[in-house]
Amino acid sequence: MENFDLLLHGFSIALSVQHIALMVGGVLLGILVGVLPGLGAPNGVSLLLPITFGMQPVAAIILLSSIYWGALFGGSVTSILFNIPGEPSSVATTFDGYPMARSGRPTQALATAFGSAAFGALVGVVLITCLASWIAGVALQFGPAEYFAVYFLAFSSFIGVGGAPPIKTLVSLAIGFALAAVGMDTVSGSVRLTMGIDELVKGVNFVVAVMGLFGIGELLIAVEEEMDAKAVSSRIDWREVLRTIAGLPRHWMALLRSAAIGCWMGITPGGPTAASFMSYGIAKRLSPRRARFGQGEPEGIVAPETADHAAGTSALLPMLSLGIPGSATAAVMMGGLMIWGLNPGPALFTEQPDFVWGLIASMYLGNIVAVVLVMLTVPIFAALMRLPFFVIAPLIFIVCVVGAYSVSNSYLDVLLMMGFGVLGYLFKKLDYPLAPLVLAIVIGDKAEDAFRQSMLMSQGSLKIFVANPLVSTLVGLGFALLLVPPLLRAIGSWRRSSRREP
Amino acid sequence: MLSRRALETLTAAITGAFGVAVVVSSLDNGIGWSSGGVESGTFPFMTGLIVVAGSLYNLVRGWLRGQEIAVRSAELRRTVALFLPAAAFVAAIPLVGMYVASAGYLLVSLHLQNRLPLWRSALIAVVAAAALYLVFERTFEVALPHGLLGAMLEP
Repeated sequence: MENFDLLLHGFSIALSVQHIALMVGGVLLGILVGVLPGLGAPNGVSLLLPITFGMQPVAAIILLSSIYWGALFGGSVTSILFNIPGEPSSVATTFDGYPMARSGRPTQALATAFGSAAFGALVGVVLITCLASWIAGVALQFGPAEYFAVYFLAFSSFIGVGGAPPIKTLVSLAIGFALAAVGMDTVSGSVRLTMGIDELVKGVNFVVAVMGLFGIGELLIAVEEEMDAKAVSSRIDWREVLRTIAGLPRHWMALLRSAAIGCWMGITPGGPTAASFMSYGIAKRLSPRRARFGQGEPEGIVAPETADHAAGTSALLPMLSLGIPGSATAAVMMGGLMIWGLNPGPALFTEQPDFVWGLIASMYLGNIVAVVLVMLTVPIFAALMRLPFFVIAPLIFIVCVVGAYSVSNSYLDVLLMMGFGVLGYLFKKLDYPLAPLVLAIVIGDKAEDAFRQSMLMSQGSLKIFVANPLVSTLVGLGFALLLVPPLLRAIGSWRRSSRREP
Repeated sequence: MLSRRALETLTAAITGAFGVAVVVSSLDNGIGWSSGGVESGTFPFMTGLIVVAGSLYNLVRGWLRGQEIAVRSAELRRTVALFLPAAAFVAAIPLVGMYVASAGYLLVSLHLQNRLPLWRSALIAVVAAAALYLVFERTFEVALPHGLLGAMLEP
């Protein structure tokens, strides 16, 4: 019951006129970046990061997380109405959302999506409410070795269950780590990897990487496909909305299963995109109406949307309690936390309870605000999509350039961002995942510090990583996540080939 | 027209070159164990090695992927048509500053490239530059670069 009291306390912090106004503003901005292809939640959050420096941390995190909720919802709007996913994580929503909307049921498609999204988010927040402080409590006893093991676990799960080709994930991750090391070494004070460019002593900022990888990269991909938005009617029939929401519990099985998948993928950093695809795939395999998937089957909307939002929300659980972000956007928010002078991780719960519980309470409120606002503004944002892409693209480009520049008033950052943009385009084209790279930039230093501190404690012996049951379990789990999926695949293909040869 | 093989090779070459640069550069910082603990080049050195090894693997895998088309000519043209003016815009920033560069960039890409009527392109360009000025210079007091042009105009 202690959590419940803390949550009520959190509500008393989150419920103020200023905070609600920030939520509304954040959600609207989030829907905007979610709707616009090329701008996504990670960009939206990084763009507003400099603005938050003068704010109270609680207000700042409410603004940033609201952008996140808005973007998650906004991405589904364009998926359903235009067959253009505004966010990578809403690609799976197009499979059944757009066919349903095109067959004259846009309201039902949108309401199904938002209803199940809200359910997924709710499950994620409840999970955070119940588990976050407990996990933080456990993690308070962690030493550097345990911390490194947790980081190892997080990165292994990216490689093992992230869904992208494992070696490409590994390369993406390792590049992120190397970029994190650029600049001043926090332990020895020596300067590393600047390649002769003095300005790089300040390091490579993750915002610059996000702007390039996600912003420019996505624009270059988006312009490739000739996008003529063939919109279906975006008028909302409110009675239909209520009828659809009332009918959602019929899909309770899909809702619960997808929420579980989403939460799992959010906590082990698989991310919302992988979660929504996985959930759609499993729903398709298990549903009795599987033949109708792809033609506007409600369960085909329920599954990816629930998982997407459950993953997006629960990605904040490891960020808050362990200091490991579960998605690219969570990584950017965590970067923000560090800039505001907070130390993400278990100590946050004892040192900054107001911040933590204010944030958790605001997640309940923010998602309600987001559902209401997205419903109300669908026609407006749908109209925005009718602007030709060749007008939107240069504007987004300018926004990214300005965003990268304003991080530290540096032209070098703009050039770096262009480089990241080209890399982002190539990576997207060839199925290299981008989130691990951003994650590694944000927490690379912490992972390295944990490693070096453990080495200091053990006088250079790797045995410290199997020294006690806790750390060896974590390391073992990490190796299992790393090795089991490829083994299963190998066994599967071996079985198939042996069956073919009699 | 670009084949998947060409793109995979290019990307693996880029990541591999980055990995080699990281490995070489971290050797300067020292790798291994010293009296002060793990030397500061060790961690980057290991990540660099992983990048190099992974890039080699991806290079071979990509080469085996064969000649399927990854980017069609028309697609490539559209991507280049977006990227080149954008790169020119970035290159112009140190010369004419952010405001003039972005207005010029919009004018070129809307009017010349995509044949939007001149007055509408000009309107969008001016409004966008003015909005940048109001939001950054005035509201958040972030000075965007004014370039050589700005330096010449200032007394």
